[in-house]
This record gives sequence, C-alpha cells and structure tokens, in this order.
Amino acid sequence: MEKNRREFLKTAGVGVLGAGAAALLGSQKAFAAPAKGVPKGPVKIGIMGFQAGVAAVPGIAGIRAAQIWADQINKAGGILGRKVKLKIEEESKAKDTVEKFKKLTIKEKCDVVSGILSTGNGQAVGKEAEKIKQLWLSWDGTTQKGLIETQPKAFYGFRSVDNELEAVAGAITTAKVFPNIKKVAGIGNDYSYGRNCWAAYKRVLSMYNPGVRFEEGIFTKLGETDFSAAIDALAAKKPDLIMSSFWSGDTSIILKQAAGKRLFQKVKGCFTTGGGVHDTLKKEFTPEGLILGYNSLYFRWTDNWPLLNEFTKIYHQKHNAYPVYECCHAYFTLQAYKAAVEKCYGLTGQWPTKEQVVEALRGINVPSLSGYRGYRQDNKQECCFFMGLTTHKNSYDFVTIDPVYILPSAMIQKPEGYTFDQWATAWEKKVKG
Amino acid sequence: MVETIVNILFSGIFHASVLFLVAAGLQLVFGVQKIFNLACGSFYALGAYLGIVFVKYFLSVGGPPVLAILPLLAAGFVLAIIGPIIERGLLRFVYDRDVHFQLLLTFALLLMIEDIIKLIWGTYPLSTQGVYLAFGILDIFGASIPVYNLIVIVASIVIAGIMAHILSNTRFGRIIRATSDNNEMAQALGININNIYVKVFTLGTVLGTIGGALVIPSTAAMSEMAVDLIVLAFAVVVIGGLGSMKGAFVGALLVGILKSVSFAVYPELEMLLIYIIVIVVLVFKPQGLFGTAT
Repeated sequence: MEKNRREFLKTAGVGVLGAGAAALLGSQKAFAAPAKGVPKGPVKIGIMGFQAGVAAVPGIAGIRAAQIWADQINKAGGILGRKVKLKIEEESKAKDTVEKFKKLTIKEKCDVVSGILSTGNGQAVGKEAEKIKQLWLSWDGTTQKGLIETQPKAFYGFRSVDNELEAVAGAITTAKVFPNIKKVAGIGNDYSYGRNCWAAYKRVLSMYNPGVRFEEGIFTKLGETDFSAAIDALAAKKPDLIMSSFWSGDTSIILKQAAGKRLFQKVKGCFTTGGGVHDTLKKEFTPEGLILGYNSLYFRWTDNWPLLNEFTKIYHQKHNAYPVYECCHAYFTLQAYKAAVEKCYGLTGQWPTKEQVVEALRGINVPSLSGYRGYRQDNKQECCFFMGLTTHKNSYDFVTIDPVYILPSAMIQKPEGYTFDQWATAWEKKVKG
Repeated sequence: MVETIVNILFSGIFHASVLFLVAAGLQLVFGVQKIFNLACGSFYALGAYLGIVFVKYFLSVGGPPVLAILPLLAAGFVLAIIGPIIERGLLRFVYDRDVHFQLLLTFALLLMIEDIIKLIWGTYPLSTQGVYLAFGILDIFGASIPVYNLIVIVASIVIAGIMAHILSNTRFGRIIRATSDNNEMAQALGININNIYVKVFTLGTVLGTIGGALVIPSTAAMSEMAVDLIVLAFAVVVIGGLGSMKGAFVGALLVGILKSVSFAVYPELEMLLIYIIVIVVLVFKPQGLFGTAT
C-alpha cells in the first residue's frame, strides 16, 4: 500500500482505461420488448437531491446527470428491455427527506432510490431504508457521525465514500507538493463536514510532515458571502499554507476577496473540494499553483475515456456548464444498479429481488465518468479523487489543474471495520517505519 | 500589528457599509409604515442579481470596468419599480392588521422572491467578472485594501449623508418625520398618506437593491443570500433602535467591526458576541441605542 501511495502521487494518470472503452457507451438500438422473465412496465428509479439552498449546486448537477444517464439507457433499450422512468423528489430537511423517501418507495413503488447528499439526511434515510427494505444508493450522503460510521452493518443502504476523503487527499497532495511548509491555517464551513475535514487533514499531514504546526481552524456559516474578516484573521496568523474544505459558492467568494488582499501572493493554498464549483474559479482572482481538489470527477481528466468525453459534451450542450463530481456519483450509482440487475438476470433468468441486487452490488465494478468505480463488501463506494495545481494555461476563463494527481479511495479511505482513528494510527506507524 | 488593526478596521467598515444600506431601508419602512419588512433581504438579493446582468451587458458592449459602478447603481434604481407594486399590491392590505400578519406576509414575500430568483437565474453562484480588482489595491500600513471596498464604503457614507439631508432639511423629509410621529395627525393636515407610504417603501427598497448591487463585484450572488442578511440586519436594528436611521448607522458599524474583531481574536465567538450585545440591549435598553421608548 505504501509503495502504491508513493507511486500514484508521481503519476498523472490512472491505469483504469481498459480495452473496448467505446463499447461502454452502448449501442443505439431501438427500444425493444422486455427480455424473457422480466416484468413489463418501466423500472422506476427514485432520484433525490437538493434543488434549493447552497447544496443545490451539486444536487442539481446530480439530477441532471441522472436524466442524461436515463436518456442514454432508454435510447440503448433500457434495462433488460424495460424503460427507465425517473421519479425526482427534492432533498431538504431530514424529516421531510425521509417522508419523500417513503413516498418514492411505498406510493411510487420505485425499485431503487438513488440520491441524498447530506450526511444528516443520510443517517436518517439509511435507517429508514433498512426499516422499509428499500434499496438506497447514496450519492454523497454518508452515514457517519463525525469520523465514525454509524451504520456499519447496513444491508439495503449503499453509502458514499467517507466525508473526510477530500481532506485526506488534500493532505497527501500537500505533503507531496509543498513538503517544506511549517505553519498551516484552516478555514471551513461551520458544521460536521468542515470540522471533520480539518481534523483529518491535520492528522494525515502531520504523518508526512511531523514538524508542521497548525493554527486554530476558522469556521464560517454555510452560505457566507463576506470573508473579509476571516481573510484578515487567516493572514494575521502568518501561515505558510491555508487549507480550505469549502465546496460551494464560498470557494470563489473567498478566492476573490483574498485576491483583493493579495493573500495567496504570500501564502500557499489547498482547496480540498473547491473543484465542485470549478467554473466559478475565474483566472482573474484564482492564482496558479493552488492545490485544488475535484472530488470524483475532473472534466478534463483525459481525452481517452469516451464515457466522460461524451457526457461532458452532452452536459455542456444541455446546460452550458461543465460537469462536477456529483454527476459522477449519480451516474455511477445508476450504472451500478443496472449492472447488478443484469448480473443477477444472467444467473437466474429472472428480474432480481432487491436482496439479490444487494448481493450483486457488493464488490461490483462498473465504468463511470471517472473510470471504473465500485462498491466494497461493506456497501461503501469506491472512486478516484482528482487533485492538482491550478493553472491558467487553458482556453477557459476559469482555472483547471496541471499536473493531475489521482488518489484512489482504496488507498485513502479507512478499510471496513476500522475507525478513522484506528486506521490513521496504523498508517502513522507504517509511515514512521 | 498595525497591519492587522488596519485590516480589521477596513473589513469591519466594509461589512458595516452594506449592512447599513439594508438596515436603513428596514428602518425607514418601519419608522413610517410600522412594518418590519423581512423582504428587505430579498431586495438586496435582487439588486445583486440584476447588478450582475447590467454589468455583464455594460462590459459586453465595451464599457470600461472602472465605470461599472454606473450599471450597478442603475440596477439598484431600476428595481425601484417593485416598491410601488409590493406596497400597493400587498402591504396596504395589512397596515391595520396584527404585526404577525405583517411578518408572515413579508416573510412569504421573501420566500417567493427567492424562488423567482431561482427560476430566473438558477441556483449556481453568479458573479461579475473583471470589476472587483479593476480598481486596484491600496497598501496602507502594510495592509492590502481593495479600492473597490473603499468605493462601497464611500458610496454608503454618501447615501447616509443624502438620507440625513432629505430627512432633516427637505419638505419631503419633514412630511416623513411627521407621518412617522403621528400618521393620523399628518393625514388630518392634508398629507396624502398613501402617496407617502409608496414613496417611503420605494426608497427603502432602493436602499436594499443598491446595497446588493454595490456589493456584488466583491462576492457572488446566491439565491439564499437574502435570509442570511436579514439575520444580521435584525441584529443591527435591535442594537441601533427600531425605526432610527442613526441607529442603523451605529448598529451596522458596531456589528461590522465586532464581527471583524471576533474573527481576529477568537473566531468561535463571531456570532456569539453580536448576539450577546443584542441580548444586553434587549434587556437593559429595549428601545435600542437610538430608538425612542414607547
């Protein structure tokens, strides 16, 4: 594992591009009758994502991706000849979200529900999924409390990667790119994600740079639009590097206001998750050389993965924007469901039960927008994390990254059965030799 | 040390400048119409979004970025049109109703405008390009201050001055003050109250829309920005005194600088400090620093 981690930090690509990639897009065949042993009528898939508030940026991106996926699948003949029909519900507060999850299951009789971004909602929906025996494929919602997994034995619930992965990826990239930094300050959103990311970042960076000192983290409310005071406070600490786990509009706002104070002319930066709003990070205020994380999808990762290239083209044509990580989470969960159903059908010749789909999903690997992605045996997602250094050398008015560092979750996510602390302690021992 | 103090001071005053414009609109409307207009945050958001549209157009036809303040102000003034529509179309029906109805109505308005914003502009954060940094950065005692922030501060002070002049030295201002003190007496003296209400509400609306338009080059517009701002504006009016323009000025300054200082000293205290002061004012001087006791 140690050898691999070092290797991937040196690598600007990942070797997941297998043969026959063009075939991934599927043939454009006419909609046919369902296969033998397959019920008539459409496959109903519930989709849940935020459509309002700060989280609407990734939420709507995920919903758009689901719609593009459904169009592509229906054009190619559906799932075993059954047309895919999406039932979209809005994610909001936990109580309402659970009600809508139940509505999709009981009233709409959805075969599966794909979605949920918030960890608070993930905990509530995760419990409900087990109760009403509904298959739930989360996009970004974990079932963690802090850094602890609360539903390790979930059966129907398939969770997102752990919340702190962006921070772990950010810390490793920091150690690689800026090995000599001495003092780090941090800023994040004032809720569990922001605080957990800061804790995980400190823990992992300390392993590779034991001499580094961390200032008290600054946490601002989600949706803040004036960071002047926070920037002054960060500058006053005179750090070598500022880490931020901002993932929404606050990323571009702090970068713009920081440019007005020349902050990143003096200090290095690591924005673990800012790539989620990459096209708002305009060149005029986003300097080159910042570490920027795109989570699971970087739209310019490669020209050699047709699924990504085709999707990016369609997404841009439809929405005049470039896809972000939530697109990949949504796309992957739906691809995984389709593959699991087809795998079961290949074995039994029948449309599978939810329980059979669960078994087929465990350990599955399917092509998604960022290469092959899968589920672990403990129902947890796997994906690659794309990190890199911001550059202005492109034809857009916003920054992209070069070089690109790809960190597979298999290497940066705590293994099944371990707490973050146990895993990090074992990792520390290994690093110390 | 000096650098830090200068930074804290300017950040606090910049934040206060924007807060003042919104809170002043809130105060003006409350002072005359006795309505606590929660939708003032929405006017701020509308100003921000329309400001982006106007600036984009201005720059696309070759307008120089350093003159972008003109389309921003224009966006704020154009939105004056919604003042009479809301006042005549909705508010006039609840002047005599219980304060709860008024709050509910303006809160419903806030949510409706938020949805309208999403419908028109979507939920993705939007911003202006090429304006904020076009004015340059000033170095004062080692602190870097964006010139645009200074422009907003000056604009806010000028607007405060104009407001003070209108209210103290003009006939319209005297009528506003008379209506604010006793609207029945003002009516008995031949003042067209409906006309005054429309004008005052429109003026309050424009203060908010200009605030939103002016601030947008330095930040990004998000559909929920209205709700966030109204919480701080509420703190400003409680501290300054409901209905007092001087209170809005001092309250905004206090909240802005307090926020800035708390970030520098102990960030966890940011909102706590502000609300400790709100509680202290509510307990020991419920009418606020400059409000009049009733």
